[in-house]
Amino acid sequence: MTEEAARRAGLGYAWYLFRRNRLTLAGSAVVVLLVLVALAAPWLAPYPGDATADVHPERALLPPSREHLFGTDELGRDLFTRVLFGSRISLTVGVIAIGLALLIGVPIGLAAGFFGGTVDEVLMRVCDVFMSFPPLLLSVAICAMLGPSLTNVMISIGVAWWPWYSRLIRSQALSVRERGFVEAARAAGVKPWVVIWRHILPNTMAPVVVQASMDFGSVILTAASLGFLGMGAQPPTPEWGLLVSIGRTFFLDQWWYVTFPGLAIFMAVLAFNLVGDGIREISDPRTREA
Amino acid sequence: MKHAHRWGVLALVAVLAAALAVGAAGCAGKGPAKEKPEQPQVAVYISNEDPVVYWDPADACSNEVIVHNEIYETLIRYDPVADKFEPVLATDYSRSPDGLEWTFHLRKGVKFHNTGNEMTSEDVKFSVERAVQRGMGVSYIWDPVEEILTPDPYTVVFKLKYPAALDVVVASSYGAHIVDAKAVREHGEDWLSQGHEAGTGPYMLESWEKGGDYVFTKFPDYWRGWEGKHFDKIVFKTVPDAATARQMMEAGQADIAPNLTPEQIEGLRGKPGVAITEAPSWKTLVGPMNTKKKPLNNKLVRQAISYAVPYEEIVNTALQGHAIQSSGVIPKGLWGHAENLYYTTDLEKAKELLSKAGYPGGGFKLVLTYPSGADDVRRAAELMKASFARIGVDLEIRAMNWEQQWDLAKNPDPQKRQDILLYHWWPAYADPYDNLVNMFHTEEDILFNLAYYSNPRVDELMNKARETAGVDRARAIELYRQVQEIIMDDAPQLCLYDRKSVFALRTSLKGFRPNPAYQDVAFFYNCYREGE
Repeated sequence: MTEEAARRAGLGYAWYLFRRNRLTLAGSAVVVLLVLVALAAPWLAPYPGDATADVHPERALLPPSREHLFGTDELGRDLFTRVLFGSRISLTVGVIAIGLALLIGVPIGLAAGFFGGTVDEVLMRVCDVFMSFPPLLLSVAICAMLGPSLTNVMISIGVAWWPWYSRLIRSQALSVRERGFVEAARAAGVKPWVVIWRHILPNTMAPVVVQASMDFGSVILTAASLGFLGMGAQPPTPEWGLLVSIGRTFFLDQWWYVTFPGLAIFMAVLAFNLVGDGIREISDPRTREA
Repeated sequence: MKHAHRWGVLALVAVLAAALAVGAAGCAGKGPAKEKPEQPQVAVYISNEDPVVYWDPADACSNEVIVHNEIYETLIRYDPVADKFEPVLATDYSRSPDGLEWTFHLRKGVKFHNTGNEMTSEDVKFSVERAVQRGMGVSYIWDPVEEILTPDPYTVVFKLKYPAALDVVVASSYGAHIVDAKAVREHGEDWLSQGHEAGTGPYMLESWEKGGDYVFTKFPDYWRGWEGKHFDKIVFKTVPDAATARQMMEAGQADIAPNLTPEQIEGLRGKPGVAITEAPSWKTLVGPMNTKKKPLNNKLVRQAISYAVPYEEIVNTALQGHAIQSSGVIPKGLWGHAENLYYTTDLEKAKELLSKAGYPGGGFKLVLTYPSGADDVRRAAELMKASFARIGVDLEIRAMNWEQQWDLAKNPDPQKRQDILLYHWWPAYADPYDNLVNMFHTEEDILFNLAYYSNPRVDELMNKARETAGVDRARAIELYRQVQEIIMDDAPQLCLYDRKSVFALRTSLKGFRPNPAYQDVAFFYNCYREGE
């Protein structure tokens, strides 16, 4: 069997495992749908102007109808449009916040794992400091300090999230470091950063990718929570958490206002968690049985 | 494994359901006990924020107005609707012809809480001098007072520097409460601010918990006595969430809730057992503009922005009619108010002014901050954003907590401050001077002149008006009109609306009469329960 064939067989087996789990499949379908909706929001939305600055006071708080599938809000904006545009914000926040966490966490984890000793000790204690706070609380504190905005939400989540990736990468790097090909590279006089970049990093990424896919849902939820607390996106941004927060006052008389953005958060978080779980099951032989 | 897990959840649900059923049965069993006749009468007031920020009445300048006016009293009380003063701790008072000497005769036999000391002229002198000396809260209201004399225990004479209207100062809802001089001297200067009180009012402090219940019980030796129907206890509850407050009102768990959102009020209308009472208030939404920073340092731009505010939409949509557009900078119902002094919404005019100012088609961005959680203000801001976009001005809206946004507005560098700040203002006492001096008088250290406005002519006119008000109110009103005309033309501040006070009440609560001079105060002594 050639190397290429083996890789293909591996992928095929992964696909088989993925397909076998119906929940994962359903989750990925929702994720794909979400991405498509986010990309096509300007064309799908019936009233694209309502996502930004338009207001129509004469159409305030209309119940769901054919013109307004999800009803309208207190300033007459179409909630269907706003929820559609909200998917863009949530996905962007998820990608950027996790990207930022990886950007901080991965180099730190690699350095700690590869060099060990004092470097490891110092970096890991810094990690401990960050990990001693629940991530949501830390994000809230950072947002309160930087001032409320969507950019600051991404920064705060990234800053609160990186230590988990550092820990993960470090443990991987520790074991990869002792492998033959690394020793060979070092014996050949390759500079440490080249060893890290070419040999250690590629061999530590698999669990990080799994972890990141599992975290995606939590990050979206955290961003929505920050929006709900008024520390995230600012009105009139159609961020889901913010919509729920504002719609809460209308809950007793206008059920649709909180319900649809709330459902959107629920669906997105559930879908990403299912996909994350699926990927973990595939990558971990111990969970494959049953 | 998975199945076992599922059964575990079901079992848990079953246990919870059983627990709930038992709990409900327990409650039902306790029900009849509540209807015993000797049950004390308790009134519950819902506040959307902590009801007390400053316990010391000399420092007060915030929500505590609703609590302090139940436990403390002023010499006289102002009724702006009838434009009359009612005697409280003073039985009568007189003013010298030149308006420089005011004599108050005190009520005899008024006792203070806990100590039983009798209230005398000494306490009045002490309370006022202490407020001035602490220099906190609204101590500036006493500025006209030169000297306080106490010829006998039941007479107080105020000598003034200029003929100001001292009656409205003495009746102020903040900073004019009479405290027990002996008690404060005995316990020390900071005793009151640590959460104690020493008043003469109908209710005295029983217990309080930050963020929780503030409980007050009737003062048995209150000078008006307890004949007739009264409440034995009053409780202030902090309920930040308007939907929760509304449910409590519907369920009869609370008697009075001011400050509900327009939606909750409309939702409560017509519900059994709940009445909605509207009253004028002196609360106004103002939007000072940063006159020290481009482009709002240009008067024409400020005028353009003033023309671009969708006033009607804000009143009708954001407030659902629970307000009227402001006219001038003094609220309707307060003497000195100027009619027909406002900007209309006129986008063409706004565009024209922008072109004249050198900004054809707008093309600049403004940052607006508003207190987070103030949903009506948020809506007003969003409507402004939509309207400003039509004249090419991009408005960025930021929610900030009050302290943060106030600090930002007081930043020593004007370039770092926000362009527009939206907040609710109401005067501490029934004098238009309070609005003018705080928001438009030249200020060395910024406090509430958040437009950083400075106009010597305005300063001069408002001071002259204040110094005339005590002897010639008509002349003072004329001067206040002139000041407001200059201010509206200079447009340092957006004047959006005068809020109506809308209270949700239980129909069983009788005797409640809102008074705009005492924002949201219930005056529970006059209230009682009937029916239910």
